[in-house]
Amino acid sequence: MFKKFSAEEVSAQNQVKASVQRKIRQSIADEYPGLEPVLDDLLPKKSPLIVAKCQNHLNLVLVNNVPLFFNIRDGPYMPTLRLLHQYPNIMKKLQVDRGAIKFVLSGANIMCPGLTSPGGSLDEEVGAETPVAIMAEGKQHALAIGFTKMSAKDIKAINKGIGVDNMHYLNDGLWKMERLE
Amino acid sequence: MAEKPQPVRVLYCAVCSLPAEYCEFGPDLEKCKPWLIQNTPDLYPDLAEELNSREADKVGEQLQSTGISSPASSAPKAEEVKHLPGGKIKKKDKKEVVIEKVVRNKRKCITTVKGLELFGVKLSDASKKLGKKFATGASVVKGPTEKEQIDVQGDISYDIVEFITDTWPDVPETAIFFIEDGKKVPAV
Ligand SMILES: [Zn+2]
Repeated sequence: MFKKFSAEEVSAQNQVKASVQRKIRQSIADEYPGLEPVLDDLLPKKSPLIVAKCQNHLNLVLVNNVPLFFNIRDGPYMPTLRLLHQYPNIMKKLQVDRGAIKFVLSGANIMCPGLTSPGGSLDEEVGAETPVAIMAEGKQHALAIGFTKMSAKDIKAINKGIGVDNMHYLNDGLWKMERLE
Repeated sequence: MAEKPQPVRVLYCAVCSLPAEYCEFGPDLEKCKPWLIQNTPDLYPDLAEELNSREADKVGEQLQSTGISSPASSAPKAEEVKHLPGGKIKKKDKKEVVIEKVVRNKRKCITTVKGLELFGVKLSDASKKLGKKFATGASVVKGPTEKEQIDVQGDISYDIVEFITDTWPDVPETAIFFIEDGKKVPAV
């Protein structure tokens, strides 16, 4: 999604109304309960919350020009990798084997066998259509943010095809956009 | 309220911007190496070793170039280097037209003409003129060395010299050679 993303694809940046700001804040808190204690630091009530509307129904949530979350249409908010790296435990984790790393980092979606092989690992609790952190065999930090196409149980049982959509990965356009002026 | 988690500080590579552990999958690990060795030598323990062995290679090369290593291996190398450029220049300087009769089968043969372009002759034009003059087929083809040559059907080798010098006065007779029995002989 962010393979060729750049500031040029941002069509409008707007400070959202207080009511919208509360709504965004609430849905982030619901999706990531682990973030609640730091939510006041991340999204200070007094700082304006900016939503940048981009192509393909993508929205970026920015505070002080820093992209923190994104979503598509009214879908769930997902943290940027830079934010996830700071709070790695806010998302459920799926792990790909080492062989899958280079594919994930070129933007490919995550295939089931990369998660079920000995180098991979699955949190059985993960359901379908859930934002997840994509970890990698032998690595400490997440390399991508994914959105599951099937539940972890199905990934294991079906074990072929795309298990998780690759939403955002290291070195894609959003990664490179540390700030949006 | 839950305890406030402290943000994790991830070591990002100053060269490629990825977490340092992902440099090996980044755009160019070679460029990251100096930074990695400086900032996180433990992450890629092989790097430091590699660097050491490369330093060793460098020393080896230096030894070789100063002639400390075995002369048997370095002497021919030096000779090669000397000969190659000289030979090339010689070839380039020598402008000549080479004509060769190639026997296709017992009765048919073609005459190849190489090198006319070195005298500013347009090969397509020359091919037409040769075909007309000798009432035969002539075409510009790519020769074995990817250089273009003219193939003329039939054995015209003995009339061709006069025709060339008449048609293209820039080509001196002395620059025309025949290949006969695998040997290059002057046309005059
Ligand atoms: Zn790097």
